[in-house]
Amino acid sequence: MTASPTPSHSGTLYQPGASFLHRLHPLTKLTFSLCALVVIFSGPGGWLSALLPGLLALSLLWRAGLGRLAARLSFRLLAWLAVIMFGIHGFFGPDNQTILFNLGPLEVGQEGIEFAFLITIRLAAMLLVSLTLVLTTHPSHLVQALTEFGLPGGLAYLLGSPLLLLPQMVVRAQAIHAVQQARGLETQGNLLQRMRALFPLVAPLVFSTLVDVEERSLALEVRGFSAPTRKTFLNELVDTRSQRLARRGLIALSIVTFLLGVGWRLYASS
Amino acid sequence: MPALDVSGLTYTYPGSSVPALKNVSFQAESGQLLAIVGPNEAGKSTLSLALAGLIPALFHGEMLGRVAVCGLDTRDHSPGDFAGRVGLVLQNPVNQLSGMRYTVYDEVAFGLENLGIPRIEMPGRIEQALVQVGLVDLRHRSPYTLSGGQQQRLALASVLVMSPSVLILDETTAMLDPQGRQEIFGVVQSLAQTGVTVIIVEHHLEWIARHANRVLALENGEVILDGPPDQVLTSARLRKNGVGWLRYTRVAALGQSRSLWPANRGLPVTLKETAAGFRSNGQE
Repeated sequence: MTASPTPSHSGTLYQPGASFLHRLHPLTKLTFSLCALVVIFSGPGGWLSALLPGLLALSLLWRAGLGRLAARLSFRLLAWLAVIMFGIHGFFGPDNQTILFNLGPLEVGQEGIEFAFLITIRLAAMLLVSLTLVLTTHPSHLVQALTEFGLPGGLAYLLGSPLLLLPQMVVRAQAIHAVQQARGLETQGNLLQRMRALFPLVAPLVFSTLVDVEERSLALEVRGFSAPTRKTFLNELVDTRSQRLARRGLIALSIVTFLLGVGWRLYASS
Repeated sequence: MPALDVSGLTYTYPGSSVPALKNVSFQAESGQLLAIVGPNEAGKSTLSLALAGLIPALFHGEMLGRVAVCGLDTRDHSPGDFAGRVGLVLQNPVNQLSGMRYTVYDEVAFGLENLGIPRIEMPGRIEQALVQVGLVDLRHRSPYTLSGGQQQRLALASVLVMSPSVLILDETTAMLDPQGRQEIFGVVQSLAQTGVTVIIVEHHLEWIARHANRVLALENGEVILDGPPDQVLTSARLRKNGVGWLRYTRVAALGQSRSLWPANRGLPVTLKETAAGFRSNGQE
């Protein structure tokens, strides 16, 4: 990317930098992420198909200096989920036949543990490959890449804007929470009290967001969002022949892996 | 050709039986600083939207009459055709950010990109717009870390960079503190001197009195007064309709009732005129 100054704050997961991952064209990273997801969920070999893309993504992030952050984010998001998965499937998995050990009156089944392991590995891999895109690509650059690729501007905006508007909504939700608390709303306590507090918190957030959407759309129109001209861009997204080839290669690889996965499942079931 | 030509404009929002604007007609020349005043629900914002070419295109109400901006009839063109000709700055600065850019610099570029301006032309125009609003030093910052006044100046820069012939400011300073308001007013003053037609919807009458060339007063969707600030802002009708008078005008009117203000002198709208009036009372 060229011309744009470095931001001091972005409000998204995006981490400014100049690593090789940052320099890759957003479409290359998007293609990698999407193809990796195909491999993770449909490749042959079960957890191995998930583990390889996950490790590849982690090593790429590590090389870009974002490995620790990615690992920390993944751990935070997945740790509690993994505990629940292993608990539920270990104890109550419908396919549990081989009992590994007993915990009091409960039996822990090998099949359930294996299934929980597969799901956890898949989720971790999915998260890591997504982070290669999210941590190194600003949403505006992704939208630009999609627009330059030929996606209608409105659709590209629709895809990209939630990533940037989310932090704004969080700030607003915090403000509404503070205001309602100042007006005596009890947001702590038992489940019933919390449920009761939900509407006064959510309703103003939804209504004010809807009002904002109208004003924002007017502002966008005034700034030529629907102008009948071909858009240009301040920042140049550098794309290369090798990246274009790599994208095609990734797509081909994911199709082959998908077909192999289908064949492998058919073979395994027969 | 006037920059703005409004004739017989009547507009009713969908679902409403009462028109928000009734038979509004006026023209504005290039370089004119025209202030629109009026109480709430007078139709000021509706008129702003109509002048920006957003009514009737985006609001499917009933429109009668004609609005021409730089010679283009708003009924025959889409809002996109007016981008670059008309700039509109609204009240809430956050809602005017594209939501897509992570620096002030990139945010200003958004409009140029939409207009298809060649990349090579952009940096110069962005720099110029940032200089105009005094945000050059903040160009690396995220738009969301700026103060309200700075964000509003950014919204203004984002419109100015498109070099509009007509600039409409709809209560742009309403959410700002006095310093933020002065920052915006300072930019507007200098703009009007460069030939841009400025339409400003504003409650700050003192500033209007000093800087507007002309004032349009609305009430219930109708133009009730149209003329220079010293005539419109001292009108008895304005005093009654909720807009009120400036403190200078009120003091002079009180002086008039007690024979302390020269009988042959009109009511003032600025401090300077007020002081001169009271000073001259004994001499005339």
